[in-house]
Amino acid sequence: MKPKSANYIGQYGIAIAFAGICVVLAFLHPAFLTLSNIRVILTQVSINALLAFGVTFVIITGGIDLSLGSVLAAAGIVAALLAHPGEYPLVVPIAAGIGSGLLMGAFNGLIVTRCKVPPFIVTLGTMTIARGLALILSKGRPVSNLSDSFNFIGGGTFAGIPFPILVLLVTFLGCALLLSKTTWGRYMYAVGGNELAARASGIDVGKVKMMVYTICGGLAGMAGILLTSRITTGQPNAGMGFELDAIAAAIIGGTSTAGGTGNMVGTLLGALLIGVISNGLDLMNVSSYYQLVVKGFIIVAAVVLDSFNKNRH
Amino acid sequence: MYKRILPIALLSAAIWSCSGSEKAGGPVIGVSMLSLQNEFVVNVADEIEKKAGEAGARVIIVDAERSALKQVEQVESFIAQKVDAIILNPCEVEASSPAVEKAKAAGIPVVNVNSETNAVPSAFVGSDDVEAGRIAMRYINEQLKGKGNVLMMHGYMGQAAQIQRDKGAKEILAQNPGLKLLAEQSGQWDRSKAMSLTENWIQSYGPQINAIFAQNDEMGMGAVKALTEAGLKDKVIVVSIDAIPDALAAVKKGTLNATVFQNAAEQGSKAVETALKLIKKEEVEEKVIIPFKLVTE
Repeated sequence: MKPKSANYIGQYGIAIAFAGICVVLAFLHPAFLTLSNIRVILTQVSINALLAFGVTFVIITGGIDLSLGSVLAAAGIVAALLAHPGEYPLVVPIAAGIGSGLLMGAFNGLIVTRCKVPPFIVTLGTMTIARGLALILSKGRPVSNLSDSFNFIGGGTFAGIPFPILVLLVTFLGCALLLSKTTWGRYMYAVGGNELAARASGIDVGKVKMMVYTICGGLAGMAGILLTSRITTGQPNAGMGFELDAIAAAIIGGTSTAGGTGNMVGTLLGALLIGVISNGLDLMNVSSYYQLVVKGFIIVAAVVLDSFNKNRH
Repeated sequence: MYKRILPIALLSAAIWSCSGSEKAGGPVIGVSMLSLQNEFVVNVADEIEKKAGEAGARVIIVDAERSALKQVEQVESFIAQKVDAIILNPCEVEASSPAVEKAKAAGIPVVNVNSETNAVPSAFVGSDDVEAGRIAMRYINEQLKGKGNVLMMHGYMGQAAQIQRDKGAKEILAQNPGLKLLAEQSGQWDRSKAMSLTENWIQSYGPQINAIFAQNDEMGMGAVKALTEAGLKDKVIVVSIDAIPDALAAVKKGTLNATVFQNAAEQGSKAVETALKLIKKEEVEEKVIIPFKLVTE
């Protein structure tokens, strides 16, 4: 098992691809490489990046989480319902939003580990359940009239930097440290690399899996709060298809769907790449039809690169 | 064996007794709605339920979840339940047509509400989306005094509302060469997507933008949020369609310039009225058009 060496090529590949696309876009449109546009891109990327960090943990252990977008919506609704002005202090909606995300993530982890059901199926089920909960709690309507302090999370700035970007940075550091500097991080690679070997060497595989799904749900809850606060309403149908962009970011960033490899720098670059492309295509007014095709091609290219790397090792 | 059959038998007996007792009341109307995840559709459905209750009729409201196939199956089950009339809020122009044909073949009157099918129903109750597009773009034209740069935000490409609202808006653009369509892009009816799109447009066109037409209020609200944050809202006119409560509140506050009111309640109640008339074999208008209204304050 050589998780690190396998990563490097994928990581450099994505870094080169990212830099290349940025240079091209800078030449194609004068507004692309400006400070205000970079702020816009980073703010837009923050939500997908949080989801992508979470799903990176899960994919590294050899699992998958399709429920992200729906968990985001449900957590966002929970937070919004508690964020009306003058009702509760700000910490209540935040804690409830993240808490509900953690709970739904833990539910995924519990079924995956206790009932031995493939994560694809479990999280597909949770995807529908969480969407249903979001609709039930909101009665199918947007939840608006949120407090100013809650709306600051997604719309405010701190020392000139949009708050979502700060959330993105702090979360990135936390996730990267957890994955690369702790025993738990090493266990995650071990479980995804070879589950039997991990079990034989005394790792509590169930606990590790439980942990990654719970973290993933919690991050989706955070993303839900960011999104709700950004658009100043809880939207029961928010986040549809977000799981795909998050998984794409992880895979573009060199996380292998086979498990055992991946890192947060790559995932961050993957999320940035997706964000930069949709921003650039919007700037150049490329039709949304073509945008889908371009984005799809980049994902396929990244996966091809991934399997090419794997075959060489 | 009995253990397995017993609960099923009890359950079916229970279902049978419910449906039996309810059938004993007034007429029964089966209602299949496009998507109960959409606020506007929910408002129509709520009004249908309310109006039917007042008239002593019973409604069975089901959600087609945007699937025309599901909608056809739901109508088949209405036919099997021998409902007295069906109100259909079609998912698709062509693919939902079999639902209309099957109901008519079974002798059950069908009222299409809000959107149309190729198959001709017993009656249609709704509004003309092309007109909504015209109203919105006319407003922009008036506000800009016939000259300026406009951005248009589409819904899901290919849906009836997107196609028709686009058509109406483009008609007015063609009549007013002073209006220039800077860019058009899909915001997928979604507030956060619309907000990101507007942020990107601001980066690209900045002060050149004079007006944004969003094909629904959700997207209009997203555009308003992005413009407000960029400090441009005072300089850009934003118009959208549907008049959802959020948008109405924003128009009152003056952040959204105008919304085009599509009367959900009126569509719902007229649909029930028409269905009840059809059940009694009374004369009805083939097309009941509920007019749009521009809301600017």
